Amino acid sequence: MAIEILLVEDSPGDVRLTQEAFRDASMQIRLHVACDGVEAMAFLRRHGPHIDAPRPDLVLLDLNLPKMDGREVLAQIKKDDALKTIPTLILTTSEAEVDIVKSYRLQANCYLNKPVRFDAFEGLVNSIKDFWLTKVKLPPQAPGG
Amino acid sequence: MKSVRSPSTAAIRGLSMPSAAEKHLAQMESKYHELLEAAPDAMVVVNQGGDIVLLNLQAEKQFGYRRDELLGQKVTTIIPEGFAERLIADDLRSAEDALAQQIGAGIELIGRRKDGSDFPIELMLSPLASTEGTLVTAAIRDISARKAAEKHLAQMESKYRGLLEAAPDAMVVVNQGGDIVLLNVQAEKQFGYRRDELLGQKVTNIIPEGFAERLVADDLRSAEDALAQRIGTGIELIARRKDGDEFPIEIMLSPLESTEGTLVTAAIRDISVRKAAEANLLQKMKELYRSNEELEQFAYFASHDLQEPLRMVASYTQLLSKRYKGKLDADADEFIAFAVDGASRMQRLIQDLLAYSRVGRKGMGLVKISSEDALKQALVNLRGAIEESNAVVTHDPLPTVLADEMQLIQLFQNLVANAIKYQKPGVPLVHISAAKGGAKKWLFSVRDNGLGIDPQYFDRIFGLFQRLHKREEFAGTGIGLAICKKIVERHGGRISVESQPGHGSTFYFTLTEAK
Repeated sequence: MAIEILLVEDSPGDVRLTQEAFRDASMQIRLHVACDGVEAMAFLRRHGPHIDAPRPDLVLLDLNLPKMDGREVLAQIKKDDALKTIPTLILTTSEAEVDIVKSYRLQANCYLNKPVRFDAFEGLVNSIKDFWLTKVKLPPQAPGG
Repeated sequence: MKSVRSPSTAAIRGLSMPSAAEKHLAQMESKYHELLEAAPDAMVVVNQGGDIVLLNLQAEKQFGYRRDELLGQKVTTIIPEGFAERLIADDLRSAEDALAQQIGAGIELIGRRKDGSDFPIELMLSPLASTEGTLVTAAIRDISARKAAEKHLAQMESKYRGLLEAAPDAMVVVNQGGDIVLLNVQAEKQFGYRRDELLGQKVTNIIPEGFAERLVADDLRSAEDALAQRIGTGIELIARRKDGDEFPIEIMLSPLESTEGTLVTAAIRDISVRKAAEANLLQKMKELYRSNEELEQFAYFASHDLQEPLRMVASYTQLLSKRYKGKLDADADEFIAFAVDGASRMQRLIQDLLAYSRVGRKGMGLVKISSEDALKQALVNLRGAIEESNAVVTHDPLPTVLADEMQLIQLFQNLVANAIKYQKPGVPLVHISAAKGGAKKWLFSVRDNGLGIDPQYFDRIFGLFQRLHKREEFAGTGIGLAICKKIVERHGGRISVESQPGHGSTFYFTLTEAK
């Protein structure tokens, strides 16, 4: 069974880079992309064109997004009984302490900085795969899902 | 005039047969004589014709004549003007007028000595009735000394006035009650009043606040305090012109002893121009500060925002290299390698620039910290580089200082990293120590056995983007020591280097000691 990941990222360069980093994976991963916060929530709640969207096993969330930013998306996910058990990882360039603290207060499952070098980014993606997708026991599909 | 039989020397002298009455007269005359001679002033008795009929020893001395040279002579001989004329005038006057003159103030005239020299005299006249008619007794006092003193005083006063008027500042003299008793022309100009409009008026009319209050305080102060105030710096107050305009002034007060008690002289200077210049300077400083601030913000945001697109360039050239190396041709591999290298270097540059601008941006939390702990943390951060180079880093016990912890760690880290990096073959040795460096300062030194630096570059190496080596020899952005300098200067210290090419370098910096 494929692992479903929702990447919430507005930069096409970063989207492609993330796709490339996950591509070499020996495991079967389906990376879905939402370009802003509103689309991310529509995907998660299966609104509109996302009526058939799968429930993701993991959300990779950027903080600075158009329409609805990552902090608001995080807050909504963690307030929603149907969504709050989905591990949500913040993946951003922001190193600001205020962002880190706020994300954990909003129940982010972890906070990651996008590395500057591609090899480091690849290493980070491998760590995610190794930890979050392999070692971690994820909850079963939520009661509502 | 009453006909009193008063004695007259001339009359008495003519008599040869003394009677009882005459004896009495002789006694009287003798007493009169004694009185005349005992008088402190020169006494000359003159008749209506202006002839001298009697004089005393003082008169002889004062005018330089023997008695017989003057008796019977015209009084104009010794008092050329103003006396003889008065005798005639006296003659025409009533007895009351004469009496009034008798008790009146003296008349000032000029006396002339036998040698022809003139001198000022004061004359007191009194009528003396005699058988020869009314005589006039003149008490003559030499007033040379008094005149000289008066002249001196007048000169002094005129000099003082001149000084007051010539003073470049407005001068106002005020009494303890706050009334203006004297002022100069500059004061008239500065405040827009005529002198008579201010004399006797309260000083609060021209200096509403801060001056009159001080007069009271002065009254209570000791002489030393007053003196201290005299030489002290000026007091800045606000003055008001007649038209109501206000302007800033600086006043210097000094006490002035006078017969009316202690007065206060105030030298008042219009400091509008200076104030305007000060305000202008302050404005310029604020602008400079703001533009500096903006520049640092710009450096920060520029480097921060440049990171994003650069990450794309760097990541994709690296991805290109990874996927396609050896799959295209040799040229493509070389081109990609240059692109990857350029992007990597630019990343380091931007990160260092960010670190440099952060030194200024971050609020300084100067606290007591152990510089030894800071060094140890820096060495932990450098563990990889130290192991790789087999460097031996040692240090003496290091003191507690006032510093921002993160910045001090960075300072040690940059200096030790440089010491390890710029090495010749062999074991890099680095030693850190600290010694008292003047009042409340510690002088730190980071000594190495590396390549050393030519003295001509001592200043240059602390500048931004300054590099002494080719990139192929030593990688680097030329920002590390600029960061060190900025950190040290932000801590109120100084950084410098001593070195000889081939014999290692020692970097020195000072930090404030913490008690």
